[in-house]
Amino acid sequence: MKILLMGHPNVGKSVFFNRLTGSNVIESNYPGTTVDYTKGYMILENRDIEVIDVPGTFSLEPKDKAEEVAVKMLEEEKDAIIVCVIDASKIERGLYLTLEIIEKGYPVIIALNMWDVAKDKNIEIDVKNLEKILEVPVIPTVAISGEGIKEVVSRIKEAKPVKIKNIIKNVGG
Amino acid sequence: MDKKLSEMRYGEEGVVKSIEGDLRNKVAGMGIRVGKKIKMITKQPIKGPVVVLVDEYRTSLGLGIADKIIIEVRK
Repeated sequence: MKILLMGHPNVGKSVFFNRLTGSNVIESNYPGTTVDYTKGYMILENRDIEVIDVPGTFSLEPKDKAEEVAVKMLEEEKDAIIVCVIDASKIERGLYLTLEIIEKGYPVIIALNMWDVAKDKNIEIDVKNLEKILEVPVIPTVAISGEGIKEVVSRIKEAKPVKIKNIIKNVGG
Repeated sequence: MDKKLSEMRYGEEGVVKSIEGDLRNKVAGMGIRVGKKIKMITKQPIKGPVVVLVDEYRTSLGLGIADKIIIEVRK
């Protein structure tokens, strides 16, 4: 089993990766720090699981080199579980990418990262309802402090592919 | 009044009216879609990128891309 961390540039994927694997990938507060991908391992239920830190991409239509790498990786790893890391304070555009990934048939789990930033901006997110609509686990996280990471790990097995038409039905469209 | 996103002035606000053909999917991931509220924040000099506020978050766009997005300016 493989886990791919995907999301926009500068949402904290690499910090997340370090938390999961205990490694030390360079983080900096600039979008696009990860241009190539990094691999690491974590142990889940006594099994070694490969975790891949994918470069940030806005959508699955690549505009530059880093995004090309991201899209190619997704296509090569047909059996991977995708952890979508979203900046909770910019949730809408993050969900756009998530839906694109769900549409491709991958099992997804969503980490609403930078939850503290969203809170500071008075952004309220109805996590339970979002889970109901998307039918995948949605977990608020703060990767920098480690908040929520354990819950993400414990719920990875709940990730499953969802049909887009179910989601459309759930939002009442 | 309609104008190109690249022609908007500092502080001007409007709504996305149209996006040129195949660019539509490219900018959708950045939150820019028809009907979205946009506010011009910064224009970098020497044909540099523009920074706009879409809903409540900032995003930057190359001038070439901003040329192909038409905004209905409201204030």
